[in-house]
Amino acid sequence: MKKDKNNRLNDWEKKFVKEVKIEASNEFSYETDEGISINPLYTSEDLLNYEFNDVNSLPGEWPYTRGPKASMYTNRPWTIRQYAGFSTAEESNKFYRKNLEAGQMGLSVAFDLPTHRGYDSDDEIVMGDVGKAGVAIDSVEDMKILFDGIPLEKMSVSMTMNGAVLPVLAAFIVAGEEQGLDKKVLSGTIQNDILKEFMVRNTYIYPPEPSMRIVADIIEYTANEMPKFNSISISGYHMQEAGANNVQELAFTLADGMEYVRAAMSKGLAVDDFAPRLSFFFAIGTDFFMEIAKLRAARTLWARIMQDFGAKDEKSLTLRTHCQTSGVSLTEKDPYNNIVRTSYEALSAILGGTQSLHTNSFDEAIALPTEFSSRIARNTQLILQNETGVTNTVDPLAGSYFVEKLTEDMCSAAWKIIEEVEEMGGMTKAVAAGMPKLSIEESATKKQAKIDSGKRIVVGVNKFKNPKEPKIDVLVIDNEKVREDQIKKITILKEKRNNDLLREKLSIITEAAKNKKGNLLELCVEAIRARGTVGEVSKALEDAFGRHYATNLGVSGVYGKFFEKDDKFMAIQNKINNFEKENGRRPRVLIVKMGQDGHDRGAKIVATSFADLGFDIDMGPLFQSPKDVAKDAIENDVHAIGVSTLAAGHKTLVPELMKQLKALDKSNKIIVFVGGVIPEQDYQFLYDNEVSAIFGPGTSILDSAEKVIELISKK
Amino acid sequence: MKELKDRIVAGERAAIAKAITLVESSREEDIQQSHELISQLIKSPGHAIRVGFSGPPGVGKSTFIESFGTFLVNKNFKLGVLAIDPSSNFTGGSILGDKTRMSEISKNDNTFIRSTPSRGSLGGIAVGTREAAIILDAAGYDYIFIETVGVGQSEITAANLVDIFTLIVGPGSGDELQGIKKGITEYADLFIVNKNDGDLAAQASKTASDYKSALSFYNKESNTLDTQVVLVSSVENKGMDLVLDAYNQITETNKNSSEFQNRRKNQLSYWLEEEVRNKILLKLDKDREISKKIANEVTKIISGDTGFYTASQAIIDTFLDKNK
Ligand code: B12
Ligand SMILES: Nc1nc2c(ncn2[C@@H]2O[C@H](COP(=O)(O)OP(=O)(O)OP(=O)(O)O)[C@@H](O)[C@H]2O)c(=O)[nH]1
Repeated sequence: MKKDKNNRLNDWEKKFVKEVKIEASNEFSYETDEGISINPLYTSEDLLNYEFNDVNSLPGEWPYTRGPKASMYTNRPWTIRQYAGFSTAEESNKFYRKNLEAGQMGLSVAFDLPTHRGYDSDDEIVMGDVGKAGVAIDSVEDMKILFDGIPLEKMSVSMTMNGAVLPVLAAFIVAGEEQGLDKKVLSGTIQNDILKEFMVRNTYIYPPEPSMRIVADIIEYTANEMPKFNSISISGYHMQEAGANNVQELAFTLADGMEYVRAAMSKGLAVDDFAPRLSFFFAIGTDFFMEIAKLRAARTLWARIMQDFGAKDEKSLTLRTHCQTSGVSLTEKDPYNNIVRTSYEALSAILGGTQSLHTNSFDEAIALPTEFSSRIARNTQLILQNETGVTNTVDPLAGSYFVEKLTEDMCSAAWKIIEEVEEMGGMTKAVAAGMPKLSIEESATKKQAKIDSGKRIVVGVNKFKNPKEPKIDVLVIDNEKVREDQIKKITILKEKRNNDLLREKLSIITEAAKNKKGNLLELCVEAIRARGTVGEVSKALEDAFGRHYATNLGVSGVYGKFFEKDDKFMAIQNKINNFEKENGRRPRVLIVKMGQDGHDRGAKIVATSFADLGFDIDMGPLFQSPKDVAKDAIENDVHAIGVSTLAAGHKTLVPELMKQLKALDKSNKIIVFVGGVIPEQDYQFLYDNEVSAIFGPGTSILDSAEKVIELISKK
Repeated sequence: MKELKDRIVAGERAAIAKAITLVESSREEDIQQSHELISQLIKSPGHAIRVGFSGPPGVGKSTFIESFGTFLVNKNFKLGVLAIDPSSNFTGGSILGDKTRMSEISKNDNTFIRSTPSRGSLGGIAVGTREAAIILDAAGYDYIFIETVGVGQSEITAANLVDIFTLIVGPGSGDELQGIKKGITEYADLFIVNKNDGDLAAQASKTASDYKSALSFYNKESNTLDTQVVLVSSVENKGMDLVLDAYNQITETNKNSSEFQNRRKNQLSYWLEEEVRNKILLKLDKDREISKKIANEVTKIISGDTGFYTASQAIIDTFLDKNK
């Protein structure tokens, strides 16, 4: 007997209600961070009335929801592309070669922060940062060493570089040249996505306007000279890692893409001349189905966007993307759990149809990966490719009521934000107004509040804790040694080169930058060929463009709202109020970022949450030196300094801060505590340097606030 | 206190900072100590010119101070900045972010930058701002900038703290002008139109000439210069020399006509009066006996045993008698 659909749905509803003893099944609907509601059941009804998603489309067919290609992994699996780099070019080269032998398929270079920000390793300002969070590249000589023995005509190379993109890409081109290769054969991707640097990644150098010109110059140059090279990797990854929800990530990334298309068209390029070489980069977090839907939605929307730009070439219409599993979903506590998290995320990326993938190592929240942790991360993908059968069918989740509906929901939610951005005049304007940054920070703060209040469970962190944390090995980088080695190489380079010639090349760059004439990449290639350093070329550009300084905002009130009437929250507030009564002012804490470390998510969340609790918080700008911090702290007579450090500069920067504080005030009693990514092996070192407390990843902000007010009161 | 004073006069950064904490504090002992300190410092003033900055949120006050401040320290002047930060949270805490917009001058050895939460206090001036300026003056700073939140009353209160008062405005519509017009000539010595760059440049010039023509309707007293209007761009560091020229002219003219000295005298008298008023009010508020008497007199007024004004006089008499 066949009942009609409505009757059967009613029956299901009755059964459901009976099973779980509630009024109606929709009480079990769940609202995601994105504000999308997830229901307990989806049916064929949910496939109707779509505006964006076409459930009958095929892979490689408009609107490309099911994939940019017809064959997808059945023909060739995704590229296993692990992001790596540390210490010197020599060390990183060794590491790359081993990985390639072990099954990795493409390279992805992680540069150190001084290189990102356009400083040479011998610059005083970057003392604590050289070789620490990536590989130090000062000149074409380093670049040549980095790819020594790696045939660049065969190996595709991805480079995460945005701030110092001109000298670094130039060095790559010249390195190829000196391997005997025409730049036409070079394949790979340069990130070259400056807008998201201003939003979340913080390795910008120049102000937005000249930065956009650089992007356009690179698109122009590669469109003409390097047909196999992706001129840009439009990145949402960093947004999600900075706290964006999936809809924000999707919308802002596509809106960035639109802005780059316009920038390139303003150079007189026709859309189909460059659009096939635009590539994307997304994060894949733990929200399994949402991530799959995000990738499908991204392709769907991009096709529509490019059609509106007049693209005809199918390659212009299709969105191709790299993905990376989420680092921020990984925990310092009980770190082997991270292998499991990463595996699910990787599966999600594959079911979403990514073209290449990086899987994170389980020691993500502790330090750069070791050889051991990298191997497991790589094998996670090798196992997926070779043992699970996921490559045998294209877009296997198509037709799932739930996934199709979620894809459509993602499309329409993201489209709304894109329209909002367009109304503001596009992403450059929206970024200048601080809109995307603030909304991402708000989401980040909400996530923290959900975890701290126990509304969201993170296994091993706020529930199911491991009473016996395992000890694990960490990668240690001797940055002083790296710095010495780099300085030696720079000295030799500078002795051998023709300084007059270089000076001329550099002044041509400055002129062209000022006059808005010429292609800057072309000119930088010449300066790099003349053995100019990354720092010198960056400086030549800075002379014309100036440096960009961001103003730190923050969203107050967001954290506090989650804790209305919460006992612990109110107890801390009381302590603070009592402190004020006794001391004539509120406890005052300076929260700082030192060196080139641009990870500001934690610092900002802690700052605004502490203010919500009643602290007076001084927020320092990014990139302060220990000396600047000491001056700020003394002048504002703060009770404590909270150093937020994630890029491994702590062992240099914290002792230096202590020294500077004493230099300004012999009887200095300011309490210093440290938060961020600190391997346990370094705790004693910091305590020995008079650090009063350390708050690692996963710390509940309420716990840290309690400790801080206690320490200040004791003083 | 003597020791603290000496350390301040010697320009010791930590001592200046501690002293500012004292004058901002609400703790009784701190208040006593701060009185002692300020009385000492006031006897041997330095030579600082105090400049006030006010203007609507977002016009670029901090950015201007960063740019103009850099210009000044490059000329070897010592600069103190007191930034009153309006951001105060519903729970009473606050985020002080000014320094992120003054990152260059913050680094300089010849500056002292202090932010203070306004805590919603009237006039956009925080408790202790006047005293903090005295401390920086005694410490030998050449210029002291006071940056305030630009809302309503604040112009007047801030103007009462400084030798030169500056209004910063953006390239804006005429609406702003309407609001500001009244009384501006009395308080502002200089108008700065910021953001004279890029797309905004044309609008900025137009705003400047609008202000100029509006200002021409107001005649200043003869002992001061007419209010000037200067166009600057804080992000492109344009027009900073013009601002310094204007300040030098204003100072010179005012000193020659004794306006400079008169203002300081008037400010002192204003401050003294305010201090007296506040003290009396505080005493009155805390007086239990007076509150009881008020209650009694109210009953009597209602029952018809006394008249309203007789009652008020009786209360005043009691209070004055008590405090003889
Ligand atoms: C998010 C993230 C990013 C984002 C940053 C976005 C942003 N605007 O902040 C993006 C994607 C842009 C990014 C980029 C890079 N990253 Co990153 N990133 C992370 C990641 C995954 C999470 C950090 C985070 O935000 N966590 C969430 C916040 C809320 O936590 P938190 O900052 O730890 O703060 C908590 C506590 O530590 C503590 N706390 C922290 N500060 C303070 C301060 C006070 C006062 C108090 C009381 C408490 C406190 O309380 C907070 C709440 O619990 C970490 C790995 C990890 N899981 O920790 C890597 C990590 C920090 N990144 C790393 C690297 C190398 C980079 C790059 C340099 C890579 C490269 N070579 O290009 C770039 C450059 C970025 C830059 N400009 O500096 C490395 C650093 C290596 C090391 N320390 O040895 C890490 C450790 C990953 C790894 N293992 O390789 N990254
Ligand atoms: N184009 C342009 N923008 C400027 C200029 N000066 C400041 N801005 C921008 O205006 C915005 C506000 O500047 P702030 O210095 O924070 O303004 P403020 O008046 O101190 O603001 P509040 O502290 O909020 O009262 C920032 O985004 C600055 O970058 C300028 O000369 N030209």
